[in-house]
Amino acid sequence: MNALLHSAVAIMTPLLLAAMGGLFTELSGMLNIALEGLMLMGAFSSIVFTYLSGSMIWGVLLGIVATMLLATLLAVVTLNLKSNVFITGLATNLLASGLTIVLSFRLFGNKGVVVFDRIGSLPRWDIPLVSDIPVLGAMISGHSPFVYLSWVLLALSSWVLYKTPFGLRLRAAGLHEKTLVSLGLSPSAYRFIAFLVSAFACAIAGAVLTLNLGAFVPNITSGKGWIALVVIFLGQKKPLGLLGASLVFGFADAFSNYAQGAWNVPADFILAIPYLFTLLAMVIVSIHADWKERIKR
Amino acid sequence: MSDTAVTMHDIVKTYRETGRCANDHVDLTVGRGEILCLAGENGAGKTTLMKVLYGMEKPESGTITVMGKRVKIDSPLDANRLGIGMVHQHFMLVDEYTVAQNVILGREPMHNRFTIDADAAKRLVDEVIHAHGFSIDPSARVGSLTVGQKQQVEIVKMLYRDVDILILDEPTAVLTEQETASLFGTLRTLRDTGKSLILITHKLHEIKAISDRVAIMRQGRMVGHYETASVDERELAGLMMGKSFSPAIGKTPYGRKQETVLRFAQVSVVRRNQGRPMLKDVSFVARTGEILGFAGVGGNGLGELESVLAGTLPISGGTITHRGQDISKSDAHRLRERGLAYVPSDRLKVGSALEASVSENLIIAARKRFSRHGMMRGKHIMQHARTLIDTYSVQGTADMPIGTLSGGNIQKVILAREIAQYRDYIVFSEPTWGLDIASSKFVHTQMIALRDAGASVLLLSSNLDEILSLSDRVLIFSRGSIVAELEGERLHTVTKEEMGAYMLGMHVREAAHE
Repeated sequence: MNALLHSAVAIMTPLLLAAMGGLFTELSGMLNIALEGLMLMGAFSSIVFTYLSGSMIWGVLLGIVATMLLATLLAVVTLNLKSNVFITGLATNLLASGLTIVLSFRLFGNKGVVVFDRIGSLPRWDIPLVSDIPVLGAMISGHSPFVYLSWVLLALSSWVLYKTPFGLRLRAAGLHEKTLVSLGLSPSAYRFIAFLVSAFACAIAGAVLTLNLGAFVPNITSGKGWIALVVIFLGQKKPLGLLGASLVFGFADAFSNYAQGAWNVPADFILAIPYLFTLLAMVIVSIHADWKERIKR
Repeated sequence: MSDTAVTMHDIVKTYRETGRCANDHVDLTVGRGEILCLAGENGAGKTTLMKVLYGMEKPESGTITVMGKRVKIDSPLDANRLGIGMVHQHFMLVDEYTVAQNVILGREPMHNRFTIDADAAKRLVDEVIHAHGFSIDPSARVGSLTVGQKQQVEIVKMLYRDVDILILDEPTAVLTEQETASLFGTLRTLRDTGKSLILITHKLHEIKAISDRVAIMRQGRMVGHYETASVDERELAGLMMGKSFSPAIGKTPYGRKQETVLRFAQVSVVRRNQGRPMLKDVSFVARTGEILGFAGVGGNGLGELESVLAGTLPISGGTITHRGQDISKSDAHRLRERGLAYVPSDRLKVGSALEASVSENLIIAARKRFSRHGMMRGKHIMQHARTLIDTYSVQGTADMPIGTLSGGNIQKVILAREIAQYRDYIVFSEPTWGLDIASSKFVHTQMIALRDAGASVLLLSSNLDEILSLSDRVLIFSRGSIVAELEGERLHTVTKEEMGAYMLGMHVREAAHE
């Protein structure tokens, strides 16, 4: 059980990061379906830069820069050239998928899995005191630094969104765009920054995947960007909600990994558990929202 | 220091999309500590002029002087900095935010370099609210407020920005009478503290009730500035609607081979959260071979009547019959099948699909006639379009998107389509609004031709000249009811001043039937 909870937290981290980034674009009034592509770009570029620079920190930083460049392209086409955000998001996903494979072939002569032995594995941090607490200790101690970074970033986003003028205006852009325009502020400017923030968070989310594995697998994100979108809605577009929702998904995923070994059930069924969970969670949230709406009246 | 707060000189603004000149060399002066009403009919260019002053529209030429200094206003931020604020007709508020959050948005009091000082925000907003005698709670969610309270939030938002000049765009359009009275109280208090207020309105009694001076615009031009005390409501109406220009249209005398086409019996429209009915007990008949005019000042029911006729607004009471059959519950599609032809007042949004081509717009109502086995018959359509373009001398080709045409040509295309669609009655709403004289005349000629061919023509218009020169019979609306019916000799002798009096509800219904 302890191991299950521990791996649930590890698995939820990329989801939480990507959803956090997506929260900014979502609140600014854009449905950002490019999370998947941005994450993939981050995953590929950060491990390649880690390999080239020999430092994980440099690798992740440069990976963030590369992902933000892709997001800039997305933002310019969407906001300045006024294309439909759904189409540009889709294009970003396709571009990231193709680009990473092409680059991987050019750089390493391999279109499949590229293993980087040299970069070593991520450090594990044991948290003193906390690690002694039963259950909780096992759950939250002994993870890679990315896990703790994601929590710090979550607190930071919550503060930015709800305590700063930037957050107030960003959310106003999503709620009633014309209000900002009438005050002489540009909704596009806030959306542009939101795209960059989502690229930042998605790049780290992607880095978690590849650096954990020490390898790049084509389309390693395998739908995690889409699940991050679900996490945003499931978490009711609130930072704490994201934490809860991504934990649910992390747990579902960890459970299916565990069940594959323990149960004598065809693996296909077990691998479907997280997706079944997604469906169930959406239904429950929707019923709950409906119920709340009725109470109000 | 001078007594003038704002001077706008020689402002020219043309909308590129429609090519319409909304402000044609307009001058405006606003004194300090006065309430100025900017009055005029719909489309006279009032809102455009104020958007120029508030930095939301860029004029092609003209100068603006604020408090004696020549200024350039490129954005609402510039306007705020110069002490100019605007309350828009449609509220610019975030319903999910609190009053305080809405007010401080864009000019947040800071706790430190990064964080908003929420307590200071509440305190500052509360100070503004109390200083001006408003009654709203800064921590209330805006979505839970009444319309009148939301408007207070808008005003507080501007006062928080220390404006000296406050523009209000049709502030009473959405208010109840009590709310209007309380708003006017507030505005007077603001004036007495030295603020200059500009109210955009077309309601005559409000101009008299609240303003010190009135500036009147008509068709993009400034008619003039007047001391409110020196003009009465009839004169105002005359100035807003213009001196009689006679379009001089040859018209055969009123033939009397009429049969009833459309009958309204006690038709009412009540909107849920609005006490006063939009239309109240409206009864009339429309007959073949006549042009039936409907006159009224904006907001008095003509807009609702248009929607009811078009089948887009369900009625709450009464019955409508067409050739003896009840059509009270028919929607637009059903009415069209019965032969409703309708030239809407909003020709850009309702009357045409701007991105679609002229030929496509011409067949929208009659797709079936131009398709075979579910496929459009291209040649057939193009030929149809070309014929109509020739007949109505539209300046444009069949495959141009209709949005690239001028307003007058768009109207011609709509006219062509609707006349092709018409069977026995046709509704025109503000058919010449914003059109130049030549296009207007073309439209008028078409209407007369229809009537002579035996159509029942219903003309809804706020343009009195148009009503008087074309109609065989006129119904005058005020506050959602018919207050007078004019025909025959009475129609020939009525003056525009008398018409204005009816429209303002100053006379009760007169038995004008012979």
